[in-house]
Amino acid sequence: MNSILWIELVIGILVSFTLLGIFIWGAKQGQFDDGKKMMNGLLNDSTDDLQDAIKKDEKVKELKANKKAKLQTNQLQK
Amino acid sequence: MSLMKCTHCHLEFDESIMIKEPENKELNFCCNGCQGVYHLLQDDGLNSFYDKVGKNTLSQPLAVGDDSSNFDMESFETRYVKETEEGFNRIDLIIEGIHCSACIWLNEKVLNDTDGIVEININFTNNKAKVVWDEDIIKLSQIIDKIRSIGYNAYPYDRSENEIKATENKKDFFLRMSIAIFASMNIMMIDVAKYTGYFTGIDPEMLRMIHMAEFIFATPVLFYSGWIFFKGAFYGLKNKIINMDFLVSAGATLTYIYSLYVLFGGVGDSYFDSVAMIITFVLVGKYLEVLGKKNAVDTMDKIRSQIPLEATIIVDGGKKVVTLDEIKIDDIIEVKMGEKASVDGEVISGSSSFDESSISGESMPVSKQIGDIILSGTINTEAVIRYRACKNYANSTLNTIVELLEDSLNSKPKIEDTTNEMSKYFSIMILSLALITFFGWYIYEGSFENSLIIGISVIVIACPCALALATPIASLIGISWLSKEGLLFKEAKFIETFAKIDAIVFDKTGTITTGKLTVKATPLSLTLEELNILYTLSDSSTHPVSIAMKSYLEKNYENLKNLELEKIEQIPSLGVQATYKNTIVYGGRLENNIEYKTTIYHFTINDKLLATFELEDKIREDAKKTIEYFKKQNVKTIICSGDNKYTVANIAKEIGCDHFNAKMSPINKADYINSLKQSGKTVVMVGDGINDSLALSRADISIAMGNGADIAIAVSDIVILNDKLSGISKSFYISKRTFRFIKQNLMISLIYNIVTIPIAMAGFIIPLVAALSMSLSSLLVVGNSLRIDKKK
Repeated sequence: MNSILWIELVIGILVSFTLLGIFIWGAKQGQFDDGKKMMNGLLNDSTDDLQDAIKKDEKVKELKANKKAKLQTNQLQK
Repeated sequence: MSLMKCTHCHLEFDESIMIKEPENKELNFCCNGCQGVYHLLQDDGLNSFYDKVGKNTLSQPLAVGDDSSNFDMESFETRYVKETEEGFNRIDLIIEGIHCSACIWLNEKVLNDTDGIVEININFTNNKAKVVWDEDIIKLSQIIDKIRSIGYNAYPYDRSENEIKATENKKDFFLRMSIAIFASMNIMMIDVAKYTGYFTGIDPEMLRMIHMAEFIFATPVLFYSGWIFFKGAFYGLKNKIINMDFLVSAGATLTYIYSLYVLFGGVGDSYFDSVAMIITFVLVGKYLEVLGKKNAVDTMDKIRSQIPLEATIIVDGGKKVVTLDEIKIDDIIEVKMGEKASVDGEVISGSSSFDESSISGESMPVSKQIGDIILSGTINTEAVIRYRACKNYANSTLNTIVELLEDSLNSKPKIEDTTNEMSKYFSIMILSLALITFFGWYIYEGSFENSLIIGISVIVIACPCALALATPIASLIGISWLSKEGLLFKEAKFIETFAKIDAIVFDKTGTITTGKLTVKATPLSLTLEELNILYTLSDSSTHPVSIAMKSYLEKNYENLKNLELEKIEQIPSLGVQATYKNTIVYGGRLENNIEYKTTIYHFTINDKLLATFELEDKIREDAKKTIEYFKKQNVKTIICSGDNKYTVANIAKEIGCDHFNAKMSPINKADYINSLKQSGKTVVMVGDGINDSLALSRADISIAMGNGADIAIAVSDIVILNDKLSGISKSFYISKRTFRFIKQNLMISLIYNIVTIPIAMAGFIIPLVAALSMSLSSLLVVGNSLRIDKKK
């Protein structure tokens, strides 16, 4: 009986610390830097906003790739 | 006349002034700005903005006069634009006009959809934005135009070392506090089983398991979250000071060591819960302090962003744009309409009116002629003038105020709160008693182990749970009562300081008075056509007197309409002149030798005086009652104003205020507050304008009226959201009552300790007594605090 409880205790603690780890990762990424914005995002963000976020990521990737290529060309020309 | 909501900003206006659209009668706009933004959002498919706004109201779109091409200037770029590692440009902006999450969404959405924008991130809390863009695709001025097109405005700010440090510090404390709260909450849940076990009986193996779980959760709290206390204690000891950090870390570590002994020795009861609670409680308080410091940095950035970047000087007959640091004494500076004076100086050509509200607090523009002094930070409201610099930028009024404000915000003196003081002496006493107990038992019994356990148990039983709860619980109830009354206290500790005040200083304009000019009722014998001429004249100027006149006419006369006046001309410092059907019509102050004690508006046609109006700034209805209340409470009441002696004396007499000071600059006001403090008084400053910010930041407690300037609200400790003066007396009453309960709570926890500590010193502490006494003391404190808002 007690050994099962010990196992449960270990699993419980592991799960809670894993969740804490995810929270710390989010905090370090800056996801909680703006408390008000985060809470409003939770309440109001719709699927359209998620689609926008994907589009934005793609746009940024493209801009970064173009810029990198341009900088490399400039360096080669020099 | 009925009120109607604007389709864009949702603010309510009189139906008669609304702009309607013939093709869609459901659309009503309060101004052209709202109408423009509404259609722009519709055309761009962004109408979901209004779903996000919901029932919130927005401000009317900001009308921005200056040219955005300034943002592409080299001097601007050097100062504000940084290059990212990837080769993009980056700027930090403060966005003006943000109200709700929908405003953030709209700005981010519009900019994200703009080609060339790599990143846009607006912080809702401080309205600061980080913008990264590709200079090859889009220019900064185009980005600013985009923001302006949807009704907002943006100012650059220099992201200082202070801000980077404050942001990092805030993040660090947030992580430490989150982990402490997470662990403490888990420990509290486990505690339910542990303490229930004391009454129902518990298997020793099960108890050990509970202790083990608590040990796992308490360890990161002590060594990660509590690390800052160890660090603080170390630096304190290095400087030979026993500080609060030392006592917190010593208390928590000793309790932790004792609990470890219990866990692995298998005897007694562990107190890992106390370790986690002590650290968590104190850490939450520290986090609030860190937030306060971060707010101070954000406020300074807002103030600095208002300073002009450059000035136009006249060199060899030509104009040259220079940065403020390049301006030398005797340089000739040109200021156009709408521009801010960058340094102090003396007018040498032209005449105009200057808005000095940021310096003197008075809403009426002041006339400036040749020989008059111009102060930096004041805004030219009428015509181009030239003036000679008599100070450089560093010594000019605006920079002096900004620097003084920065110093005050960084080291704002506050009264040491009672609980902190008490905790300090309490902890020293407990540590001493624990040592006496240890040595006493060691000499008496000779057992080192037993003496150590009894010594530590003195510290554990004196667990400052009740002491730690005494202030926060009472403050929480006091603060929630205050917020229900529309009174916002930014930190709980202001309750205590406010309850102890000796003197209260009021600003005049906008605080004792409404700050808005109103026309005294005047019987008129004008024809409808003459009334319409007068209405059109007042509608063609943005001067506060003209605005007051327009609103007076709209309120008192129906069917007024704008006529087609010709040759409309603003006469600097006087009024507006125009021609109508070959007659010269004029509205404003007539140039004569009479010195008026109030603001006067004359209306003439072909130099024939047809009407004279008197304008006044009304005293708030509850001003007299508020002054009476504070006088009854033996609090000295004082009015400080930048206005003339005659006006201030009249108002002081009318509301029954015994002391007043007139013609005070922002620095005079701040010095006066300092002198009151030096005479041993605890001082409250109540204000609403930018000119009060310095005095507000110097006072022990600063109160801003809810519709005051952003900066005044930012530097204040208390904000009267309902904008009523009676809110100040209500705040004082609630603070005094709450503080009385805090003192009672502290007394309860002291009595608890006086009873239990001797039992612990005598070595009679058994787990049941510990569990019962700790819970009971906390319950007593909570129960007592719940009585605070029973008498409303």
